[in-house]
Amino acid sequence: MRQQYAIRSLVVMAGLMFVGVAIIVQILRIQNSEQAKIFLANGDIYAGEFRTFYPERGEIYDRNGHLLAGNRTVYEVGVSLTEMKDVDAMAYVLSVYLNMTQEEIKEKLLNAPETWTYIVVKDYVDAGAVSALQQVLKQLDEAGDNRLNGLGFKPHFTRSYPEKNLASNVLGFVTRDGRGYFGVEEKYNDLLAGNPVQMWVPRDPNKALDIPKVPNGTTLVLTLHRDLQAKVEGILDEALVEYGAKNGAIIVMDPKSGEILAMASTPRMDLNNYTDYFQIFDNGSAYNRSIGMAYEAGSVVKILTMAAALDAGVVTPETTYIDTGSITVGGITIQNWNRQPWGQRNMTECLQHSLNVCLAWVATQMGSPTFYSYMDRFGLGHRTGVDLADEAMGRLKVPGDSDWYPVDLGTNAFGQGVTVTPLQMMMAATAIANDGQMVTPHVLYAMIRDGHQYNVPSQYAGSPIKPETARTLNEMLAVSLQNESASALLPGYRVAGKTGTAQIPTPQGYDPNHTNVSFVGWGPVDDPQFMIYVWLQEPTTSIWSSETAAPVFSRVAEQTVIALNIPPDLVRLQYGSR
Amino acid sequence: MLRNISWRYFDFWLLGAVVLATAFGTTMIRSAIAGNEELLPLINRQIYFALAGLVLIFVVAAIDYRFWMAIYRPIFIVMSLLLFFLFLSAQAVFGAARWFQVGVLFVQPTEFAKIAAILLLARYFEKTQHQPRDLRWIAGAFLWVMGLAIWILLQPNLSNVVVLMVILASLLWFNGMEIKHIILLGGIGILLVAAVVLLSVAGVDIPFLQDYQQQRIVNFVIPDPNATFGETYNIDQAKIAIGSGGLFGKGYGHGTQTQLRFLKVRHTDFIFSAIAEEFGLVGALLVILVIVLIIWRCLRAAQKARDVAGMTIAYGVATLIFFQGMVNVGVNLNIVPVSGLPLPFISYGGSGLTSLMLGIGLVESVAMRYKELDF
Repeated sequence: MRQQYAIRSLVVMAGLMFVGVAIIVQILRIQNSEQAKIFLANGDIYAGEFRTFYPERGEIYDRNGHLLAGNRTVYEVGVSLTEMKDVDAMAYVLSVYLNMTQEEIKEKLLNAPETWTYIVVKDYVDAGAVSALQQVLKQLDEAGDNRLNGLGFKPHFTRSYPEKNLASNVLGFVTRDGRGYFGVEEKYNDLLAGNPVQMWVPRDPNKALDIPKVPNGTTLVLTLHRDLQAKVEGILDEALVEYGAKNGAIIVMDPKSGEILAMASTPRMDLNNYTDYFQIFDNGSAYNRSIGMAYEAGSVVKILTMAAALDAGVVTPETTYIDTGSITVGGITIQNWNRQPWGQRNMTECLQHSLNVCLAWVATQMGSPTFYSYMDRFGLGHRTGVDLADEAMGRLKVPGDSDWYPVDLGTNAFGQGVTVTPLQMMMAATAIANDGQMVTPHVLYAMIRDGHQYNVPSQYAGSPIKPETARTLNEMLAVSLQNESASALLPGYRVAGKTGTAQIPTPQGYDPNHTNVSFVGWGPVDDPQFMIYVWLQEPTTSIWSSETAAPVFSRVAEQTVIALNIPPDLVRLQYGSR
Repeated sequence: MLRNISWRYFDFWLLGAVVLATAFGTTMIRSAIAGNEELLPLINRQIYFALAGLVLIFVVAAIDYRFWMAIYRPIFIVMSLLLFFLFLSAQAVFGAARWFQVGVLFVQPTEFAKIAAILLLARYFEKTQHQPRDLRWIAGAFLWVMGLAIWILLQPNLSNVVVLMVILASLLWFNGMEIKHIILLGGIGILLVAAVVLLSVAGVDIPFLQDYQQQRIVNFVIPDPNATFGETYNIDQAKIAIGSGGLFGKGYGHGTQTQLRFLKVRHTDFIFSAIAEEFGLVGALLVILVIVLIIWRCLRAAQKARDVAGMTIAYGVATLIFFQGMVNVGVNLNIVPVSGLPLPFISYGGSGLTSLMLGIGLVESVAMRYKELDF
């Protein structure tokens, strides 16, 4: 070793120490600079973020456990712009599977804002298309081809309705932002959606286990009977064609519990394509006519007038009235449907022949206060409280309202000048079928959450009439139906019911050629287990309910006894007597 | 050659420091690439390289370093050929290749070229130790290094050429380069650097410098306050990492910048930032301390070496470790423009680690032969 240069290593040592000191100084400078706090904060900000976890939306089942609304996995197809290698290859492959044009895709990929590193090409892509894309990716990967680098898929749930348009008017739909519209989806949106959990999520993959399992939304079991619903919808659709009617609604309900077994309405839509809504419906009240549309129901209201009169003791079934073909109420003359006098008739016959003059007389005998107090207790002019969104209220004018005239007492008695929804009318009728007790209709049978099932109890909506009155009228309606409307009858089962043919009010007065035909009926009379409401809008083959709505009732009743397994009266009574 | 090996003067401090640094490096690499499945095999690969490197230290230490002096011609020819072929293949794949694939291993001849240059210079200075320290003597040394560096320059891989030039300068210094020559050449060097910086800022293309390299210089000299991603991104993320580490750091595997991959190339170029974030100021200083210990033991071996060749080898290795470490840490701390030099013994990189181990083996070989005679 040449000692003459030994001093040189000392110089180098000094330089080394200088560098070391410089490094320490620089570290300290960075850590203690003005920006140090920002750096520290940035470190924390980058460490994680607040994220909202949305629960899986609760499912919807019919009363027998058939899935009506569930969730299915779809994918967000996106491209990481930093990893993307070949725009043209990417655009070409995606255009094949995503049903988009290459130009569209390239436009998206190339015109992304500068700070973006990831771009969504298409969301809600079916699993089928994604698995095909993944296949392509895999093949290219194996071949060492990186032209599709950056392509990624993020799975998430979307609402799915396996029965497509079945019970669509009852279920409603969910939009992509996760909100329910109409029916059950809107009414129980909060329950179904569950509680989103917002929390601080570390980006550190090692800490990712801290993310909680967000409990799913509440699963709902409806009172609907899927098979019966399908049958009823079929009958309704056929009836519209057969009678040339515009639209219609049919409800099947258990009059004792208020459980709605089937609720059909036209038109229907495939809930999986909820954007069709705007093409199919011009306003929300048409979405479910059973609850959303109030109309003048006509003679079916007579059962309520008669119930009130019997209950108030104004008439008995044997009370007779001499029908001269017209009656003057409040200075205006009211005529029968065929404009003929019917002579001396008892109350059962008045209902049987649906005599407007007779019922108007009954109402005048009661007087306005009594009549309207009963109508109010039957729920006319009030919402039924059914657990479906967007229920209409109907309109019952009462004395004191600016647009109420004395003649309204007479016309209201046979269901003109008063509007009701089919379900409202049906709920009022439960009082007659159910020994004077009225029930609130509902579609929710049970809720299931965290493995616990909560059954929804029936709600009683008051007793507008005495049990004896109900039983008397029940019998009267059975007899009158038997004698008059043969087309409504169902062999083997004794049913009670009432037709209704109502002229449609227009700005120019009532239109004599267009009617709303309705039918409300229930059975078996001695122990009612089903109640059916039929409404057909403007039938053209016949304007009369007895020739249109009544046979539809019979068909629905037949399917109902099959679906609910209700034995014919003879069989049932034999068992009962044992 | 291998007879009468005495391990008496084998420097266990040096070995210990190297083992410590390598083990810590492997551990840090594991943390740095946590969660990245593609990079996961790198940990094991680095461990294999480290273990092979340790064996290499003993093997090379056992061989008398003067053996390499004797075969300097084959060393030069083989190394030149390797670099030449690398240059050719680099042309073929548009400048991307800096390694040869041998089986599953990627070998970077450039890393080994540094050790080769040290050996060639050692022989040159040994042979010319009694010659005057004139410009011809300097030119001779320069030509030996350029014989290898030319192919690296043509790749182009400027930072490693700079490493070679620094080694050359350092060894010239240790071998008695005259002050006037230092002033002359140093002046030329400073002018050259200044010219490069000024031309880069002015936006003039300079041969052998890639656009991105010039851009890095510009970014270093004049940081663009509006720069978002890309240009200053890595440096900003490194600063955040170091700045948020504090005195004792966030803990192993808990550095958010590191674990969440805000920090790029965190297992190689920016591993120092990752260390500073997870182990804080204290951890970073300990790492530097270990590297300083290694350098110190190399310098010590140089001072005690029995001949010029041994001294030159030990100084050369010390310079190599010192310069790469300084540049790497300097980049992390934003004192030096961004350049891809690894942190010795710590950063991921099989060839780099192996060549450093080779260098340490040579230093041990020098240290073991302090005295001509050992009774």
